[in-house]
Amino acid sequence: MTPFDSDLRPAPAGRPSLAVGLRNRVHRSEALRGYLLLSPALAVLGVAIIAPLILLIVMSTWSMSGFDMLMTPGLGNYAIIASDPIYAALLGRSLKIAAIATAATVLLSYPVAYFVAFHVHRHKMLWLILLTLPFWTSYLMRIFAWRVVLGYEGVINSALMSLGLIEAPMQVFLYSQTAVTIALAHAWAAFAILPIYVSLEKIDKSYLEAAADLGDNAARRFWRITLPLSLPGVVAAFFLMFIPTVGDYVTAAMLGGPDGMMVGNLIQAQFGPINDWPMGAALALVMTLAVAVAGLAFLLLTRMIRR
Amino acid sequence: MDVIDQLHAVRSGKLSRRAFNRSLMALGIGLTAVPLGARRALAAPEDHPTFFTWGGFDIPELFVEYQAKHGEMPNFSTFGGSEEALVKLRSGFVADVSHPCLSGVPRWVETGLFQPIDTSRLSNWPNVMPELYNADFNQTEGKFWLVPFDWGQTSITYRTDLFDLQGEESWAMLSDQRHAGRLGMLSSGGDAWWCGAIMAGVPLSEIATEDAFTRISDFMRAQRPLIRIYTDDTTSLEQALASGELVAAMTWNSSAVTLRAQDVPVAFAQPKEGALTWVCGVMLHKDAPHLDRAYDVIDSLISVPSGIFNIGTYGYGHSNMKAFDNFDEATLRGLGLSKNPIEILQAGHFMTPQSADWEARMNSTWEKIKAGF
Repeated sequence: MTPFDSDLRPAPAGRPSLAVGLRNRVHRSEALRGYLLLSPALAVLGVAIIAPLILLIVMSTWSMSGFDMLMTPGLGNYAIIASDPIYAALLGRSLKIAAIATAATVLLSYPVAYFVAFHVHRHKMLWLILLTLPFWTSYLMRIFAWRVVLGYEGVINSALMSLGLIEAPMQVFLYSQTAVTIALAHAWAAFAILPIYVSLEKIDKSYLEAAADLGDNAARRFWRITLPLSLPGVVAAFFLMFIPTVGDYVTAAMLGGPDGMMVGNLIQAQFGPINDWPMGAALALVMTLAVAVAGLAFLLLTRMIRR
Repeated sequence: MDVIDQLHAVRSGKLSRRAFNRSLMALGIGLTAVPLGARRALAAPEDHPTFFTWGGFDIPELFVEYQAKHGEMPNFSTFGGSEEALVKLRSGFVADVSHPCLSGVPRWVETGLFQPIDTSRLSNWPNVMPELYNADFNQTEGKFWLVPFDWGQTSITYRTDLFDLQGEESWAMLSDQRHAGRLGMLSSGGDAWWCGAIMAGVPLSEIATEDAFTRISDFMRAQRPLIRIYTDDTTSLEQALASGELVAAMTWNSSAVTLRAQDVPVAFAQPKEGALTWVCGVMLHKDAPHLDRAYDVIDSLISVPSGIFNIGTYGYGHSNMKAFDNFDEATLRGLGLSKNPIEILQAGHFMTPQSADWEARMNSTWEKIKAGF
């Protein structure tokens, strides 16, 4: 007990009770208080992320025999992934589609976020809400909307035909990697706009004034102040969008056609019709690692640009 | 409380605080009460068994008898391929009644998730065609694992106005270079691989051999560049056929019937190599929470009204012989069926049960081929 506490109330005759002891320890130890505050999140993290991840790692070393999983650990699944070209090819394609979609989204979102941060002065909230409008409908609805737009009798084909530019509907739009990229870029736009907006909004306007006073023109001000200071937002947008889109499979299943299949579809098939859960687990882990490596590479790249 | 009076009070700015609060309270009570009323009207869904079935069979027309007896519909859960369904059941999903196909019975039984069906509890059982359930693997101690419900064919639906048919209808239509990029396929290996065997000229009795794997894989790989979509979603295939995006696609009977009903000029091919014939039915979960009502679901499915709907609207065969009496021979022929359904069944290529290892190998090979490897 601290002297301060004993001043407040008379010390109990014998030892301090357990509850009081615990309370004092919590008050005294900053680390303990921290963990206590973290505990709800830590519990969720442990149960919902770390435990399944461990399960996934363990399961990926098993193998399948008919309906039964053989629980003797081995690296057979990883050997297959390394030797069979389909896995590397689909993983590469997924990373490529996700990277292109993310780059396109970030590039398109930046001006929007810039406009809202610097040129909208009234009803900012309204603008931000409007930007999240695509999220008000279910993801599946948005994919079907793209099928209507890109489809054989879709909006684009009908428009081109009524303009007399083409005679028969074109098949190139739907069921391609481009269709998947477009749908992903549209669906995830808000995830790029919001973090970029936040980092642009935070920029101290007096830096820009100082730069102007010292003779920088608008373009130089942007390159030397606005862009570097908003990079954290750009990096956040990249990760927020790139990580989930690599593993996406609904979009590819609905819009990709035979050539637009992504690694997510293969993982789904392992847990579904192929019924080889250990292989699916191994593939999911390899995909997670690939995303981590790609993310690190991107992080290093932005570090280098900043210097 | 008069509505007009209140509106007037609002307009003239004289709505008293008390009157306003009273209206708010009325609104609150009203809104809270709305779901209560609806809940009672719909009764508790947990009182009814769950029917785990292919998309399209979750409709009231097949449960006329059940509804007459219990006033409401059973619950539904749907799947697009039987392999997907088995995986879901094995991972702990309990559905009182499931809807697999006859050739899958040994593997489904092997999972230990099902109980044999006591057919004496089914009033419509005497009218069920014995050819559909008399297989050694389907019975145990006088009971049956699967009660047949629907049967039909996997063949080609093609646009008679757009597909340039030369000679007889055949499976070669799905590898016709002239229509490259305008052909569609069912995605599940349960259909596609077996039809692939017919296309590649492999007898279905030899489908498990090493040679069959090579020949079917080679054929399907060569066919892939011509295919626009592989999907289990029959609606997608039907829409693509209706718009002319596809000119021919592998489908079941119902797609052709549905499209013809919409006046789309299509035909359901009777390929010279023979179509793939399948028989599907229902199995009972070993821990079915609503066993008695589950039997009513099964009885309702094999009843004559369900049969008439299944034949007339979907163009599928039905297991109840009496259902065929309501159609004349010409109508049945048009659907690819017959008054003597046994004839059709005997003419077709039947899927035969395969081992779990074969299924796993086939599915993983097939997934790779679809992905382009």
